[in-house]
Amino acid sequence: MRQRLVIKFLFRFIAFCIVLFVLDRIIGYGFKTAYFNQKVGQFSQTTYAVDSARADVMVFGSSRAVRHYSTTVISKELGLSCYNSGRDGQMIPYSAALEEVSLNRHKPKLIILDINPWELANNPSKYEKLTILQPYCDEHKELIPYISEVSAFERYKLISKVYPYNSSIFILATNALFPKSVKKDTAGYLPLEGVMTPAYLTEYTARMKARYERIKVNKEVPEEKGIAYFKKFLDNAAKFNIKTVVVISPTILKEPFYLDNQTVEKQLVVDITKKYPNVTFLDYSSDARFNGQPQKFSDEFHLNRYGAEEFSTGFARYLKANRVVE
Amino acid sequence: MLFNSVEFALFYILVTTLYFVCPYRYRWIILLSASCYFYMAFVPIYILVLGFTIVIDYLAGIYIEKQQDPRKRKMLLVVSLISNIGILAFFKYFNFINLNIDYIAHEFNWHNPIPYLTILLPIGLSFHTFQAMSYTIEVYRGNQKAEKHFGIYSLYVMFYPQLVAGPIERPQNILYQMHTKYPFNYQLMTSGLKMMLWGFFKKLVIADRLSIFVNSVYNNPDLHNGTTIVIASLFFAVQIYCDFSGYTDIAIGCAKTMGFDLMKNFNRPYFATNIQDFWRRWHISLSTWFRDYLYIPLGGSKVSTGRRYLNLFIIFAVSGIWHGANYTYIIWGALHGLYSVVYVIIKPYLRKDSENEFINTITRVTNTLITIVFVTFAWIFFRANSVTDAFTLIHNLKSFGARPFMGDGVSNFAHSLLAIAILFAVEYKMEFIPKRFNWFTSRNIVVRWGSIALTVFLLLILGVFNGGQFIYFQF
Repeated sequence: MRQRLVIKFLFRFIAFCIVLFVLDRIIGYGFKTAYFNQKVGQFSQTTYAVDSARADVMVFGSSRAVRHYSTTVISKELGLSCYNSGRDGQMIPYSAALEEVSLNRHKPKLIILDINPWELANNPSKYEKLTILQPYCDEHKELIPYISEVSAFERYKLISKVYPYNSSIFILATNALFPKSVKKDTAGYLPLEGVMTPAYLTEYTARMKARYERIKVNKEVPEEKGIAYFKKFLDNAAKFNIKTVVVISPTILKEPFYLDNQTVEKQLVVDITKKYPNVTFLDYSSDARFNGQPQKFSDEFHLNRYGAEEFSTGFARYLKANRVVE
Repeated sequence: MLFNSVEFALFYILVTTLYFVCPYRYRWIILLSASCYFYMAFVPIYILVLGFTIVIDYLAGIYIEKQQDPRKRKMLLVVSLISNIGILAFFKYFNFINLNIDYIAHEFNWHNPIPYLTILLPIGLSFHTFQAMSYTIEVYRGNQKAEKHFGIYSLYVMFYPQLVAGPIERPQNILYQMHTKYPFNYQLMTSGLKMMLWGFFKKLVIADRLSIFVNSVYNNPDLHNGTTIVIASLFFAVQIYCDFSGYTDIAIGCAKTMGFDLMKNFNRPYFATNIQDFWRRWHISLSTWFRDYLYIPLGGSKVSTGRRYLNLFIIFAVSGIWHGANYTYIIWGALHGLYSVVYVIIKPYLRKDSENEFINTITRVTNTLITIVFVTFAWIFFRANSVTDAFTLIHNLKSFGARPFMGDGVSNFAHSLLAIAILFAVEYKMEFIPKRFNWFTSRNIVVRWGSIALTVFLLLILGVFNGGQFIYFQF
């Protein structure tokens, strides 16, 4: 009797697992179709960056890359095509992953990496956010080591065809239902429109100074894995002898890394880039044209469209004048 | 080993299979070995601390039962309690007490020579210590026979599903079950698995999703306005409920699949209509522990009115200290003590049920909302990283009405609201229409399997899989 119950349970359990497996394939296919048919928004921008971008100039980095580098301006100034592969909320491991996928397909003439010293500091979220690469792992196996940073079992979770689209349902639904409400990027570039007020700048400056008083006693400890990803990014570009520009783009405060207790990480960026002959390092964090200029910023971290276009113009002209790229 | 990990999934399948494959007389060995492994997955050396208290309480139980002299019986009980509380105090409160000594010493320009401990708190210490204490107290009171089988007694303290975060069991409910022969039971197996699934849903889809917003606000208290703080605090109220009751559902479900029946720990607390009702529904195993072993021995309600109020306040203050060695928890407990005392005072003046059903409904909804407001206010202290942070948050409440911060994108916020809506729908059904929409247990296999599959896919689509450990593991 008891044996029969065990067999009944196992039989039903296996049958239910088969049903789940079949449903997983069907629902997963639905998600895949919806995801890869996105025409606007950051999903479609990432898909293009991973699968298709073949521009002469490729920009990598975080939200400060997406918002600061006008592909139109850079293309016009340099006479080369340009694509911006940056992504909001991402850091150096994501840039390294995107660069690896891109270089497997195409060798650009110039690589621009927008870096922030905090990307080399301890912050587990920079690995957790790599889950956004899961939809691409089927086609790009080289991404699997990156998503394994999230957890050792992450690659096995990909057995499910639904799991890669975890947490994307709201964006997929919004893009499908209200496509006009989603801002369209220009070759990956997605500027911000707002303007920071002088009052907010004053308040932010005071807050950062107060914060610095609290955190200055903390010892700065850079993260070895973050540094390794930064070096990997530069090594990959060096392997194909691609000119690379590592940039700290403009910041609203002068010496922001001092206030953020990240001077060690900042110095590391400088020291590491010096070791690569194909790399030029440019630091705009103390540029008086941007420091303390709230009208050029949308918030404390990002330039607005006006600021981004001014920065992109100056930056591209510098590259041209100094023959960084021919 | 966390319940929300792949390691636990493999561990659970292996242990449950071995449990049913093994002859009855060896099953306690399987469960005890599994429990040791489960505990040692955190900090292995602490198994010795747990082993020490197990030996003390095991022997205390046997000698208390044998001893006829009431004084000696009491002395044995005191030895057992001091050992348990001593270990709890050493690991959990030593640094807190030392910090306070430091503060006083500083005021008097005196040097405090006592060094701080740099050791981790053994996981689930407060839970298994309280469970062990309830055993010796019940043996002393004559309500429970002393357990002669050392392995079974060890299993009573260490049973892995409830080892690190309860429910805090009583020996009368669980010890006899350790001796019972449980054959494989199809109904218990399936209902246990469904309960575990719902527990995982609460943890991964709701608690861990809400924690993203809550952490970003509570870790930067000076950056946020009143509206954001109100939203974050309400989110935290739901987060801690789903985190803890999610754990409990997994624990109860896991034990159920092997035939064990653990006590209920939550009963939809946010439908409570007053603070007493809330505590009859929230962390029931701890509330009843304090009632049986602290409130009643203090005289309970059979004392003068003033003393009764004091007793009420004491149990909540102690409950706050039980949670953690931090003033934030003490204030949280004291606030609940205050709420309870005030409620007892005003209770006779509150409106009685009306004959009009509509008025009753309005009264009930209003009372529920008022209870949620008071409970949520107290959660600010519970969640804040320090008392200063808590007061900063309360101070910033004055800007309520300003545009709220949306956290890491509108998407996460929308997922959070969706998760809360699902929870509310399920809890509402269970509270008010328990006999309808029982899809998980429907006789129709399409409805039954369909609802379980839907839960699994919602878990895959909406779950946060890199969330942290359960909040109550730290206690």
